[in-house]
Amino acid sequence: MDPVLTKVENIAFMAALIAYLLSAALYFVYAVSKRLWASKAAYAVMLAAFVLQTVSIAARGIHAGRLPLTNQYEFASAFAWGIALCFLIFVRKYRFDVLGTFIAPVIFLIIGYASMQSREIHELMPALQSSWLGFHVSMAIVGYGAFGVAFGVALAYLVRDTFPGSLKGIPEEKTLDLIIYRAVALGFLFLTLCMITGAIWAKRAWGSYWSWDPKETWSLITWLIYAIFLHLRLRKGMTGRKAAVFAVIGFLCVIFTYVGVNTLIAGLHSYK
Amino acid sequence: MGQPDNGQQNRTGTVRKILHFLCGMPFSFVLLAIILAACVAGSVIPQGQPASVYQEMYGERGSGLILGLQLDQVFRSAWFLTLAALLCLNLILCSVSRFGAVLRVWKKEKRYGIWGSWLTHLGLLLLIVSFAAGQFLAREEVIYGIAGSTQPLGKTGLAVTIDSFEVTLRDDYTVEQYTAGLTVADASGQTVSGAASVNHPLEAFGYDFYQDSMGWATYVDIFKDGQLIKTDLICTGEYTYPDELPALALLFNKFYPDFAEGADGAFYSRTPLPENPRCLYSIYYEGRLMAMDLTEPGAAVPVHNYVFTLRDPVEYTLIVARNDPAAPAALLSAAVLLAGLVLSFYVRPWEDKRRKENGSGLDEG
Repeated sequence: MDPVLTKVENIAFMAALIAYLLSAALYFVYAVSKRLWASKAAYAVMLAAFVLQTVSIAARGIHAGRLPLTNQYEFASAFAWGIALCFLIFVRKYRFDVLGTFIAPVIFLIIGYASMQSREIHELMPALQSSWLGFHVSMAIVGYGAFGVAFGVALAYLVRDTFPGSLKGIPEEKTLDLIIYRAVALGFLFLTLCMITGAIWAKRAWGSYWSWDPKETWSLITWLIYAIFLHLRLRKGMTGRKAAVFAVIGFLCVIFTYVGVNTLIAGLHSYK
Repeated sequence: MGQPDNGQQNRTGTVRKILHFLCGMPFSFVLLAIILAACVAGSVIPQGQPASVYQEMYGERGSGLILGLQLDQVFRSAWFLTLAALLCLNLILCSVSRFGAVLRVWKKEKRYGIWGSWLTHLGLLLLIVSFAAGQFLAREEVIYGIAGSTQPLGKTGLAVTIDSFEVTLRDDYTVEQYTAGLTVADASGQTVSGAASVNHPLEAFGYDFYQDSMGWATYVDIFKDGQLIKTDLICTGEYTYPDELPALALLFNKFYPDFAEGADGAFYSRTPLPENPRCLYSIYYEGRLMAMDLTEPGAAVPVHNYVFTLRDPVEYTLIVARNDPAAPAALLSAAVLLAGLVLSFYVRPWEDKRRKENGSGLDEG
């Protein structure tokens, strides 16, 4: 145990947790008041939270001597980090500040879930000692992060559609719709990469690249849901409310694949 | 050659309608929705269990439904395989029917993105076909034994010698690695030697040898009236019996290297080191359980005029040998699928078209 690294990890993690909460509050202030300072402050605080969380993850990685992506705490933290990363990129790209009103609480909830998990550092079991771990889980983090952004934008769409004028600064529906599509497309690509790298690793570790393990099956379910979404959108022109509802359902499926399968269904991926 | 009669025209029309339906998107959605529901069922309902497990979990009616619909083996059931075959048919027809149109647009526009959707579907189709081929062509053999033992590998003509088996422990007694030293020999006497550890299979004669799991084995000496009549080596979960009286059997239930008893009476091992070894065994006579107890290795377990002595517990390793000739095709299919997705999303013919139509005004960079 390195007390300095443990301290750095814990302090940075708690600071990030608080900063995400603060950012969520500031984004809410912006959404209801349309004060520009609130939006700027929220973005800055979110950026600070992201940097702090990066420090926390890095400190844990150095301390553990491996990528910190193997248990519920580590993956939940990385999941929140992935959504924050995608959010910061999408906000910068699309100049869509009010998106934070919907995404920041999601990030806070996930990192809050991480804070409730055991932070004890364990050595890796033999099956997890592979360079494929980094590729496989990194793809999941970016993919899940992008789906998280699609979920936030879908919520924004549904709020705008259900309660017109209730929140300020929400872009027009066509724009929201396109952002949902772009986020889902990015997430789908990375989810596919995650499944392929996982299959290659499984072949190396267990001898079979697909075993219908619950985690594999639920990844496939998530993949199918988003595949149907993309087909409906690209081929049948499904947009608007239906697309937004689909994006919400898809993300709930992502959450179940991550939390539900690990905790409710036993399988090869049940690393506690 | 005369004009086709009305009957022929009707038949052609019906075939066209069927083909149109089979390669259509509504059919794909129905298939995907059912496959999706099947996946949910297959992940929630325990798979491959004996009927009694389902009766206990879901009652008589529920288990009847599960077993009747083959929900106890969803991914091997005839109806699931039929769904997968129909999806393949849908993908084949869809790919064939769209190829001409895609090629025409490609000749006109010369944009790689046009191939994206087509390649994605082709990749998915090849992936399903490769996986299915792997299910039929793949070979799997299992051997288990202690260091020094040699066993034939099923009907492959290969023989595997377990030269060594080592469990590397960390200071906190967690397992760092399981490593089996193996020598694989073919019928001509050619040999390949090497180590198989978790994540690092040994490749030999077209097979990958995986270090799968391990357990404990024990030698059992059987005496009758003080005379040694048999020595056997059994693994946990295995039986041994006097050849002259097979109705009397000893089951080696479990081995505790460092035995301890918890406050709740449960047995456990403090460490994986053989500091305080105990064997849990059961005695059966004519299929009925007569006794169950713990014994120290080397101590006598008397049963009437027989004595069983469990001694020299030793770790055994379980090695799985697999050969899936379709795996490289699956990897190639995955690469095609990925290339298709990248072209679809990031060379974006669809989106460009839609953007021109609706003018969303977003920066697409």
